Amino acid sequence: MRMSWMAGGALAALLATGPALAQKTTLVIGMQTQDAGVLDPHINSGTPGKALLNWMFNGLVRIKPGQASPDQIEPDIAESWTSSADGKEWTFKLRQGVQCHHDLGEFTAEDAVFSLQRAGSKDSSAFSSDYSAFDKVEAVDKYTVRITLKTPIPSLLGQVMNYHGGNMVCKKAVDTLGKDGFARKPAGTGPFVFAEYVPQQYVKLVANPKYFRGEPKIKEIIYRFIPSDAARDLALQAGEIDMMIGRQEQAWVDRTNKIPGLKVIAFGPAEMSVIHLNMTQPPLDNIKVRQAIAHAIDRAGIQQFRGPAISRQAVSVVPSGYFGTHETAPLLPHNLARAKQLLTEAGFPNGVTIKAIHTTLPGMMGFIEATQAQLKRAGITLDITPVEHPTFHQQIRQDLSQLVHFQAARFPIADVYLTQFFHSRSIVKTPTAVTNFSHCKVADAEIDAARTEQDKAKQVALWKTAQEKIINEVCAVPVNEMLMLWAFKDSLDLGYELKGSLNLGPPITEQTRFTK
Amino acid sequence: MGAFLVKRMLFAVVTLFAVLTLVFIVVRIVPGDPAQVILGDQADATAIAALQQRLGLDRPIWEQYVSFLSGALRGDWGVSLVTGRPVIREILDVLPWTLELTAVSMVLGTGIGVPLGVWAAINRNRMPDYVTRIGSLIGLSFPPFVSAILLLIIFSLALRWFPVISGNRATPWAWFQSIMLPALNLGLIMAAYITRVTRSAMLEVMQEDYVRTARAKGVPWTVIVWRHALRNALIPIVTIVGLYLGILIGNSVLTEIVFNRPGLGKLIIGALNQRDYMMLQGMMVIYTLIVVVVNVLTDLTYALVDPRVKLS
Repeated sequence: MRMSWMAGGALAALLATGPALAQKTTLVIGMQTQDAGVLDPHINSGTPGKALLNWMFNGLVRIKPGQASPDQIEPDIAESWTSSADGKEWTFKLRQGVQCHHDLGEFTAEDAVFSLQRAGSKDSSAFSSDYSAFDKVEAVDKYTVRITLKTPIPSLLGQVMNYHGGNMVCKKAVDTLGKDGFARKPAGTGPFVFAEYVPQQYVKLVANPKYFRGEPKIKEIIYRFIPSDAARDLALQAGEIDMMIGRQEQAWVDRTNKIPGLKVIAFGPAEMSVIHLNMTQPPLDNIKVRQAIAHAIDRAGIQQFRGPAISRQAVSVVPSGYFGTHETAPLLPHNLARAKQLLTEAGFPNGVTIKAIHTTLPGMMGFIEATQAQLKRAGITLDITPVEHPTFHQQIRQDLSQLVHFQAARFPIADVYLTQFFHSRSIVKTPTAVTNFSHCKVADAEIDAARTEQDKAKQVALWKTAQEKIINEVCAVPVNEMLMLWAFKDSLDLGYELKGSLNLGPPITEQTRFTK
Repeated sequence: MGAFLVKRMLFAVVTLFAVLTLVFIVVRIVPGDPAQVILGDQADATAIAALQQRLGLDRPIWEQYVSFLSGALRGDWGVSLVTGRPVIREILDVLPWTLELTAVSMVLGTGIGVPLGVWAAINRNRMPDYVTRIGSLIGLSFPPFVSAILLLIIFSLALRWFPVISGNRATPWAWFQSIMLPALNLGLIMAAYITRVTRSAMLEVMQEDYVRTARAKGVPWTVIVWRHALRNALIPIVTIVGLYLGILIGNSVLTEIVFNRPGLGKLIIGALNQRDYMMLQGMMVIYTLIVVVVNVLTDLTYALVDPRVKLS
């Protein structure tokens, strides 16, 4: 009898611990894509790829999980670092015992040097221009890396963090598999290891038992490619996926938040919608016409249209929250009467017509149609030619559109946005072109000076002046910022508070787990 | 029969060559730069130029064409500009999924459409005829992506009979669950077409003298309908089934996306969005081959169902 009581107690205890034993350890994620693209962190710059690669790779440093501000940088593979007084020499001490995936051995200074050199080469990296200021990268010893710069740059740490070219790849993997082979079996040092790629279906990652921060609680990630918005929604509601990228629509957020067991989180960095005005083409070569456009746009109205909980008004020509953003920049206020008056003064009392090539992507199309309606009230006719997204990207770079609506987030330092969109070196159709669609060149001196300025206060002041000059010249009209939106099951605990993610997807760390 | 097949093969080779050339030109005329798409919107002009060079996109068009044709003749269709994997492997990985979906949809479409068409014809201007005609009209009016969402809401979300994500072939039951809804989605629309064609073909045949004679001789009604009348009505049905295969493959694009099934449809949409020239070229060859083969099979079927048809 006593034995049966003991057996009963043991059974009860076992049943009580049953749910804990059955706790879910496979995380299924739905991503809006047909395919994740090339699985090489130095090549892939698309949202679907960046989110996935982020779970496999580390940088020398990283921004704390859930944050997107460079103020929150902390050690990653490097445990400490120092820089010379002139900011041109940086030395990183690496952790010992960090292991490469697929049993490729310890990650050492040799791997870090290889990785940064690879990121800086245009033959192997889409981000090579970010490393143009690098002079030398050397392994001082097995665990020490020294970077020497030709000139100081605003954020060296931003170039060695787990973002774009800063992701650390294992040399042996690239040497053994070759560049294309590496993309089929990527090897980093992160919490999750590449396991399987099934075309058009998913990428499977498994927990890295040798991860230097400890073995992840999630044992398997299935990263499903689900391009249809409706199918992703239904799969989440049916419980077939646990987490998914959402739609940038207020109605979708409201609807999803009402479903029991689901929640939506909006986080940064926000993508800013900016109207770039080509100052070399009439009538936009007349500053009064550009000012009229700026006065005609109602940022509050656009925010209301796009959704107050998922968007915010732009504050400057650099998105809010970046290091160096002029948070109280003198943007021209909405004033229809002033817009009409400026058009008359410019010699267009009957209004003007501006031609714009625009992508057919639904979210961006909605924005430009709302803007078109606002401009119409001031007598400005926006003649939109809708084209497919790749065509849009090609034609705006061929300088074929008088007005370009571009929506983008960048590394959150003012220098990046200012350089790519407003420095004369970046003007489209030039050999060094990036995305300066307006042909703006009024703030080159300040942007260049700020890049090498070591005094942070002076650097910020230079960026502030640059932003004021660009705004006064009306090279572009910043309008609206759209946050990233992901939906989750309530039972998924990311292990941190999600406020931002540079890689545009929530980091899945060793702490991420299901609570039931 | 042999001469017929040889003639069709020669015709297929000419068709393939024409399609290859046309596709090669068309995909390059369409604006959009694959290097730009691959590298993203932050890439500078230098990086884009370097990738264009690596992909061979900076070479003169005629040189790219010669290289493409010589590769195609050797069975080398190149590698995807986006994923770097061989085009032929990418296509063969997903081709069985599309063929399987098409085959099951055809079976469902024909299996539902033919009996319904016959039923409507033999009950002309009575309730079964009205119901069938209205039903088929509804089927014809539904875009496949709308019916797909409706099927998912009813059978996957409300009833939980089938999964939303249809890509599981681990067990026969999982395969059945995965294919049923997408195939039903395509099959029901096909059934609507087949029903109408079968009905009108049967109505015509049922007026023939031999049907009247058979009835006068006391041949059982079911034998008259299914053995004599239907067999003679099969030519237009076979024609529409053959033609419909092209529509099925076209409709499978949206069906594969909504049901999240791998397949040629998903592959071609991705290739178009990313301007993956090599992939598009390879896929056009496959689509052309499928259409040519189906046409030949349709012609062969004519001879099977109607001995009066001679293949020459």
